Amino acid sequence: MEFQFEWSIFFESIPMLMRGVKFTIIITIGGLSLGFFIGTLIGLMKLAKHAILRTLAITYIEAVRGTPMLVQAMFLYYGVPMALGLRIPPLTAGVIIIAVNSGAYIAEIVRGSVQSIDPGQTEAGRSIGLTRSQTMLYIIWPQAFKRMIPPLGNQFIISLKDTSLLMVIGVGELLRTGQEIVAVSFRAFEVYLAVAVVYLVMTLSIAKALRMVENHLNMRTTR
Amino acid sequence: MSMIKIIDLHKSYGDLEVIKGIDLDIKSGEVVCIIGPSGSGKSTVLRCINRLETPTSGRIIVDGKDIMEPATNINHVRTEAGMVFQQFNLFPHINVLGNVTLGPVKVRKMSRSDADKLGLSLLEKVGLADKAKNYPEQLSGGQKQRVAIARALSLKPKVILFDEPTSALDPELVGEVLEVMRQLASEGMTMVVVTHEMGFARDVADRVIFIDKGVIQEQNTPKEFFSNPANPRLRDFLGKVSEH
Repeated sequence: MEFQFEWSIFFESIPMLMRGVKFTIIITIGGLSLGFFIGTLIGLMKLAKHAILRTLAITYIEAVRGTPMLVQAMFLYYGVPMALGLRIPPLTAGVIIIAVNSGAYIAEIVRGSVQSIDPGQTEAGRSIGLTRSQTMLYIIWPQAFKRMIPPLGNQFIISLKDTSLLMVIGVGELLRTGQEIVAVSFRAFEVYLAVAVVYLVMTLSIAKALRMVENHLNMRTTR
Repeated sequence: MSMIKIIDLHKSYGDLEVIKGIDLDIKSGEVVCIIGPSGSGKSTVLRCINRLETPTSGRIIVDGKDIMEPATNINHVRTEAGMVFQQFNLFPHINVLGNVTLGPVKVRKMSRSDADKLGLSLLEKVGLADKAKNYPEQLSGGQKQRVAIARALSLKPKVILFDEPTSALDPELVGEVLEVMRQLASEGMTMVVVTHEMGFARDVADRVIFIDKGVIQEQNTPKEFFSNPANPRLRDFLGKVSEH
């Protein structure tokens, strides 16, 4: 039997996929917002004077980066409720997984960016009587944040794609929505191609937006 | 009256001892120039005075406060001892006026309008009031260093520490920075200047100090220092410097 590409299936599946897109976006943005908070905290802990804080930060980063996200998702969604006796809704679990996961990578982005700022900046800040935290807040952070933007953009794209793994815990995101369409249409080729195209449109849009933000910042002040 | 008193200062990095026992007493209003070969420890001494480097042992008393005492608020001491760096270290993300007013606003809790008034008067003093809204990268090296001096003055310090303030400048820009420093000296500011500018040391300093191998080898009035150097190392050093 000869394979025939069905354009109608391809085009009809796209509007149906939008329901999944909505969850993909909610989880990505929710997870990354929380992940940025975690990443900042852990990244600054890794730069702390106290060894205990540094050890805690390193343990977190290694544990998260050293285990597959799929395992983390299964553990949180199926494992943790057994121990705590409470059910975590799939959407909440999805946001937490993306947050915990991206947090570890963002921590390294934060640490690297902060460390890349000339130590002379800290010295100048301290020399006018600013405290350590004031120096971080007013001098180091604004400069470091600018350097974080490109790697954070990459992380945005990675996390968006990672949300597809959340189909295993029943989150109705884009890939799972595609799978449901395949289950009734039996047209895996067209539907999964449409799913891929939708992901691509989203990731390319992020990349484009990122370039615009970078250009805008470069215009305001260089460095 | 003693503004800075250094007693038996030692500083080591691991096994390497770079400061091997320095005693120094700097009076209020005095201009002291410190010269010496690179790696002699002269910048380290300066950086110990506001504890950007932590001394290994010894005592440093700035304006009556022992900076090694745990009870001393080092941030307060630093507002009394401003610093000017070789590489300027201006804050690139803040405009010139903001660089000068950050300390007054955040440390002294001055109102924005009072700080701006103060900042503009200091920029006026260093001849850069018209650059208030510019960003540091739009300035020449000499202008950057003059802004850095205005920033160091912004907390009304009792002493300013200069760490090779003209070493990173193109030769034709050195003069404008030294001019501002001369003016400060003539107004009675206490200044400790690590420098290679022998002309400045000769004309402006009350005392010139030669540091080599982590100790003070010689100190004297500029006249005696340059015309009658006693220490053979200093003679050798001055000979090499004057060849250029």
